[in-house]
Amino acid sequence: MWQFLSLGLLAELTVNGILFGAMYGVAAVGLSLIFGTMRIIFIAQGTIIILGAYLVYWLFTLGGIDPYLSLLLVVPAAFIAGAGVYQALFRKAAAISDKNTSLLIAVGLMFLVQNTMSYAWTPNPKSIVTGYTALGVEILNMRLSFTRLMSMVIAFAATGAVVVFLRRTLVGKAVRAASENMQAAMLMGIDPHRVNAIAFAIGFALAGAAGVALATTYPFDPYFGFVFALKALIALALGGIGNVVGALVGGLALGLIESYSAFFISGGWADAISYGVFLLVLMFRPEGLFVRSIKKA
Amino acid sequence: MNPLLEIRNLAVAYGDVQALWDVSLNVEEGTIVSVLGANGAGKSTLMRTISGLMRPRSGEILFEGKVFSGKRPQQITAAGICHVPEGRGLFSQLTVQENLELGAYLPSVRGYFAQSLERVFELFPKLKERRHQQANSLSGGEQQMVAIGRAIMARPKLLILDEPSLGLSPIIVRQMFELIEALNRQGVTILIVEQNIRQALKIATRAYVLHTGRVAMEGRAEDLLANPEIQKAYMGTLD
Repeated sequence: MWQFLSLGLLAELTVNGILFGAMYGVAAVGLSLIFGTMRIIFIAQGTIIILGAYLVYWLFTLGGIDPYLSLLLVVPAAFIAGAGVYQALFRKAAAISDKNTSLLIAVGLMFLVQNTMSYAWTPNPKSIVTGYTALGVEILNMRLSFTRLMSMVIAFAATGAVVVFLRRTLVGKAVRAASENMQAAMLMGIDPHRVNAIAFAIGFALAGAAGVALATTYPFDPYFGFVFALKALIALALGGIGNVVGALVGGLALGLIESYSAFFISGGWADAISYGVFLLVLMFRPEGLFVRSIKKA
Repeated sequence: MNPLLEIRNLAVAYGDVQALWDVSLNVEEGTIVSVLGANGAGKSTLMRTISGLMRPRSGEILFEGKVFSGKRPQQITAAGICHVPEGRGLFSQLTVQENLELGAYLPSVRGYFAQSLERVFELFPKLKERRHQQANSLSGGEQQMVAIGRAIMARPKLLILDEPSLGLSPIIVRQMFELIEALNRQGVTILIVEQNIRQALKIATRAYVLHTGRVAMEGRAEDLLANPEIQKAYMGTLD
């Protein structure tokens, strides 16, 4: 394939990698937040993204609501749903020190949502076609898909909003404090259930935003969510667990790895290479690629 | 008058392993009370139970005459008990100022934020210089200042200090004890766990010695300081 390689093509691979990677990144940011306070990998994150995508699909096909406009509905609804899911399913389990129960609840939730979606919307892939789906934007001689560009904007804006929340608000600081040392946070008067519920609410809101980004750019089916969560997990490992900006960068890196390996090696190898990178990173840099050094616990 | 903190016949266990048996202890308002004992004697467990991180199996903890045993940490902190845990429990990725802000997290003390911050910076001018630095970039002594400063932000009536001198150089330790006495003069009642027994007894009004989860000895600090048994058991051959 080298004879086809040109600077333009390389740029296109890079841009596509970044566009798709941004979605991995936003999923990884959600994982990172929930892991921070709960100490579990919320494996249902990808499936919640797909649920968000179906919601957007529904609002579009039944209500005629524009997918980008539906952000205004889906994100707040997901935020509330996230807090509700924590209170209903995880509150009891979060209080015990053995985290396996919480992890199993997440697995159960994933399968429940997956199968419910499969029943409600059939397992056949769905996609949203709007007037602007085929629209392209011409940048530096490259034709970029408008919807993919929008997806990246959504991913960056969502991550940016989370970073501002964590850095600027007292509750955000409490979430960061609890992520680092829950017991010390409790001594400050921080309610662990409150920060856990906030982490879930934001994690779900991010999933809602990612759902909009996904629904407008790619076909999706109920079972894609699990793979999406695995990809987010790889992004998390690349970026360093418990580091929000790192999670986004990890997602971008994974998008690039997949984009390049699909072209230079073969499309079939892209996934295997992703998981290979995942293991290699965990073996040699378990603290993540973008963290300076291992910090003591 | 009732003591500020009263502990009656407290028993605490980690699962099947009992850590405290029948511990009773009083802290009078305005005093400094030291809790001494070897490693594993149950000192930290006692402090963690007072602040609500652990629940007692039996017995009662009263603060200002009200029962607090079994309540959640945020209720206990809101009542005016602030616990600086062993190892400081700093949020090391956060800045000094953010740590202090979280000290005043509860709505009941948030209104005093500016005033409390000024008080902390007055006590620890170093922290004012370093307020925008990440907490883990500070020296051990400075980190201990942040930990105590953060507790002061919550306007404590009772300050619990668990091994504040741990890992600090002798000069810093002396400053730390001077500071504790200064805080006490400002009206903060102090319950302190220390390995540094001589210093802890010198500043204290009363002291308790824990031995394998039970109160082995209690009394006025100066009496314990003069007690040959204490000297033999905990102070080695120094003077």
